[in-house]
Amino acid sequence: MAAPMRKMLHGTARSLECPWRLRTLCAAATAAPAAAATPGKSAASPNGGSPWRLLGALCLQRPPVISQPLSPLQVEMAELLEQIEVEKSRYSDHEIRALEEAQRLERKKADIYDSDDDDEKDILLVQDLEDTWEQKFLQFKPEPRVTEADKKNDQTSLHRKLDQNLVLLVKEKLGDQETWMLPYAEWQVGETLRGTAERALATLSQNSVEAKFLGNAPCGYYKFKFPQAFRTENSIGAKVFFFKALLQSGNLSQARKKNDHAWVSKEELGDYLKPKYLAQQAFI
Amino acid sequence: MTPQGHPAPGPPDSQTILRWKEVRTGVRATRVLNSGGSGGAWDAGAEAEAMAALGAAARALALQGRSGGLRACLPRPCWPHAPGRESHLWATALLSLRAALPVRGEPLRKKKKVDPRKEQAAKDRLKKKIKKLEKVSQELIPIEDFITPVKYLQEERQRPEPEVPFEVSERRTLLMKKWTLYKQQEAEAEQKKIRSMLEAQQEALRELRQESELLYQAAIRRDDSLFPFEKEGPTYTPATPGYQAPEGKYNDVTKVYVQVVHKR
Repeated sequence: MAAPMRKMLHGTARSLECPWRLRTLCAAATAAPAAAATPGKSAASPNGGSPWRLLGALCLQRPPVISQPLSPLQVEMAELLEQIEVEKSRYSDHEIRALEEAQRLERKKADIYDSDDDDEKDILLVQDLEDTWEQKFLQFKPEPRVTEADKKNDQTSLHRKLDQNLVLLVKEKLGDQETWMLPYAEWQVGETLRGTAERALATLSQNSVEAKFLGNAPCGYYKFKFPQAFRTENSIGAKVFFFKALLQSGNLSQARKKNDHAWVSKEELGDYLKPKYLAQQAFI
Repeated sequence: MTPQGHPAPGPPDSQTILRWKEVRTGVRATRVLNSGGSGGAWDAGAEAEAMAALGAAARALALQGRSGGLRACLPRPCWPHAPGRESHLWATALLSLRAALPVRGEPLRKKKKVDPRKEQAAKDRLKKKIKKLEKVSQELIPIEDFITPVKYLQEERQRPEPEVPFEVSERRTLLMKKWTLYKQQEAEAEQKKIRSMLEAQQEALRELRQESELLYQAAIRRDDSLFPFEKEGPTYTPATPGYQAPEGKYNDVTKVYVQVVHKR
């Protein structure tokens, strides 16, 4: 059923104000209607008479790994709150110890009787402790927040933009044009739409990706009509239902070629998706 | 009933009557017992008297020692031994016999059926009281964070009062106001986003319903495998692959409270 799908999406592109060449369309259409359209016709009205075809699409998201950077106002506020907290607090044991030692040092400098005070109480001063702690902290090197993938702007890597949601987009070839869209699969009789989405994921990743689907209900839909050439009595267009899933483990890099898929953040969606298609993605 | 005018259960003999006079109280007791047995009223006082009398009779018997037993009870008109002793023995032996049998004025009072019910009612009331007490005294687990340890309330722990100059306090107030506005905008944006997502979902479900009722029903079914849903939140820096945390021993001194749930 892949061929009619592609043609449908051809139609999508067309309806989305893209220059379209009817000739190629018709050629493609006439080229394989015998092969593809007949199975389409034989499977006519699987939805019980409705003229719309059903597609289940998958919105696979990689949730953020690190926290977002604070805005300047937030930074100011955080500092202020810390200050107020310290002002309203009481001395801790560590601070009292520091104060006592400061007093003792003053007395040492001012007076000369150290012998009675200078028991073996604190060979280790508070200052020394703090220094050792500082040293230990500096020894630990955390991972940088801006990863290499960010610098290279590698779209297929999952380590890019760790503080944002990344959505998976795949490139579908439609005749002579390629469109970016969310991965989908045609609905088959006997499965729920969520099952369709799961099947889409499985075929796409060859079972190397684990995802947690968020519920049985779709989170959005997109409706489009086929161009005139493809419309039959039973299928005017198609409805795509999107299902949201959170990526838990695995990556697509083994399954697909390099340029076929991309993990894209919300702002970059506009660069990839067609405007009308994008408008429906309010749920991302 | 006085022993003088009342005929004895044994053969009415003048001699025996005389002997009975000697053991007056004891016999009277038995007389009374007998009369009570025939259906007369029973007196608590009389019972006590009877008990005392029986006790006395028993003591008398013990003192004199039993001799002859039943045979001694049978009155004979002419007995070679001293009549006093004989009479004592005979009477007290009779008394002891009567004492051996459960001689009460009335037939044994059976425990009436109301009693177990009353007992049960009393027990229930007690149980209810206990339950009430238990309800009130359910111990709540104390929240350690809300209880200030006493050592931090001491005087020497207090910081010196910070002197905040006017400009600083002004700046702080203005910053707080900006912050409230910012937070309000953030909350509104979040609400809007959530509403739009919900609306998109509702639209999708409506369209699906138009398509096929079966799929719609499958879509609105609750997904049981979704909850409990656990996910670790974002950290400040990404995780270093292959990082080994430094080893160290620690003593975990956290107090573990167990809340007792009182079962019915």
